[in-house]
Amino acid sequence: MSDISLTIEEGAFVSILGPSGCGKSTLLYIVGGFVSPTSGAAKMKGKTISGPGPDRGPVFQEFALFPWKTVLGNVMYGPRQQGVQAAEAEGQSRALIEMVGLKGYENFYPKELSGGMKQRVALARTLAYHPEVLLMDEPFGALDAHTRTRLQNDLLNIWERDRKTVLFVTHSVDEAVFLSDKVVMMSKSPGRIRQVINIDLPRPRRRNELLLDPRYQKYVVDIERMFDEVDETGSPL
Amino acid sequence: MISAAALAKRVAPVFACFGLLAVWQIAALALKNDSFPTAIEAIRAIPDILGDKEALINILASLRRMAMGFGVAVLVSIPLGLLMGRSRAVAALFNPLLMVIYPVPKAALMPIIMLWLGVGDITKTLVIFLGVSLPVIYHSFEGAKAVEEKMLWSGAAMGLSAMQRLVWIVLPAALPEILTGCRTGLVLALITMITSEMIARQSGAGNILFNALDMGQYDTVYAMIIIVGAMGICLDAMFERVRARLVRWSEPQFDLPLSFS
Repeated sequence: MSDISLTIEEGAFVSILGPSGCGKSTLLYIVGGFVSPTSGAAKMKGKTISGPGPDRGPVFQEFALFPWKTVLGNVMYGPRQQGVQAAEAEGQSRALIEMVGLKGYENFYPKELSGGMKQRVALARTLAYHPEVLLMDEPFGALDAHTRTRLQNDLLNIWERDRKTVLFVTHSVDEAVFLSDKVVMMSKSPGRIRQVINIDLPRPRRRNELLLDPRYQKYVVDIERMFDEVDETGSPL
Repeated sequence: MISAAALAKRVAPVFACFGLLAVWQIAALALKNDSFPTAIEAIRAIPDILGDKEALINILASLRRMAMGFGVAVLVSIPLGLLMGRSRAVAALFNPLLMVIYPVPKAALMPIIMLWLGVGDITKTLVIFLGVSLPVIYHSFEGAKAVEEKMLWSGAAMGLSAMQRLVWIVLPAALPEILTGCRTGLVLALITMITSEMIARQSGAGNILFNALDMGQYDTVYAMIIIVGAMGICLDAMFERVRARLVRWSEPQFDLPLSFS
């Protein structure tokens, strides 16, 4: 990656879109503090990011749940680590589990859940410690199309309630347009920001309305064309 | 009610044992050799051994050394293996050392250890310790290495320090693998226990066995083999119970158990 300069406003839903190998996940890991940039710096509220912290909560494609903990144990983990009393953490966690649609599964182990359910747990686990920014790394990439659509809808509903800043890495154009205020298009070798597109669509967004909206369709078509260009210029296949 | 399949599962090991004893009995009767007692003669000698106070003291002394060697080995090897799995520097430091120790039969080190530490408890316990350490280190190392990076990142985002991640994420995540190593270690502890007593003949179950051999009490020899074997099976079955309970979260739903529990 080189020459990346990007500023994200508080409360915005920003997607990073690009072909595989353009470094979009790496960009997210740098913001998370999991990876150090070889040069340059990432800052949050003016402070240089030097490592991971509870102000930035990741959600990974691989779910990365703790398999030895139940659903409730996973969701409570963050708050307990932050020093929240057990009873209070449990109450909040149960509410979050209900919010992501998993009421009744509190005592299940991750191996007993489907991929979609695991990702719901992972989202609840991250929301539980109240990060200011959600870092989502192709969170629905490992899910089938139907589950993916349902999780997109639910994520949007949850997000529209408290408008956390979200940085969302994906390689799906309609996912990016459907969810975001802003789409950052990246190209590869070297990974650069090609263009930043503001998605000017009203909220709250409803999938059935949006899919029929010509403005939505135009965004998708335009960005897909741009995606084809960056993919071709990037690598001789 | 027990289903037919469950019943078969319970009965099968019993059948296997009786089958083995039957083959032994027939073979011994056919060969008519003094040094090969029949199964029944060997089994008859078991109460004599277990009723003898001296023999019991010896067997208990063996078990005590075994527990000591196994316990200390596990306590040292798990942290070492986990650190090696997560830190390239620690792995680089210990790997060559372990590579050298690994292929050496631990019993072959006994004469040297005996020269330094005598033929007492310390020598035998140390040999057991060496025998148990390597599989436990190896499996802890492999288990720690395989822990998903993203799981550790999730922990780091929640505010866990590197040390806390090692204890609260790497250790539980690697536990199934660690316990596999411990199970191997337990059997090796029994083997090295007997071997050590065979070399340093002073006390213990191995000592009873080899003294009987010297005196031509072949039924006692075979009875001791059955006793030691039964000890191994019981210890393994007990361990397997504990293991299954600790890692229930990781077990596949249908599993062919490889134990007598």
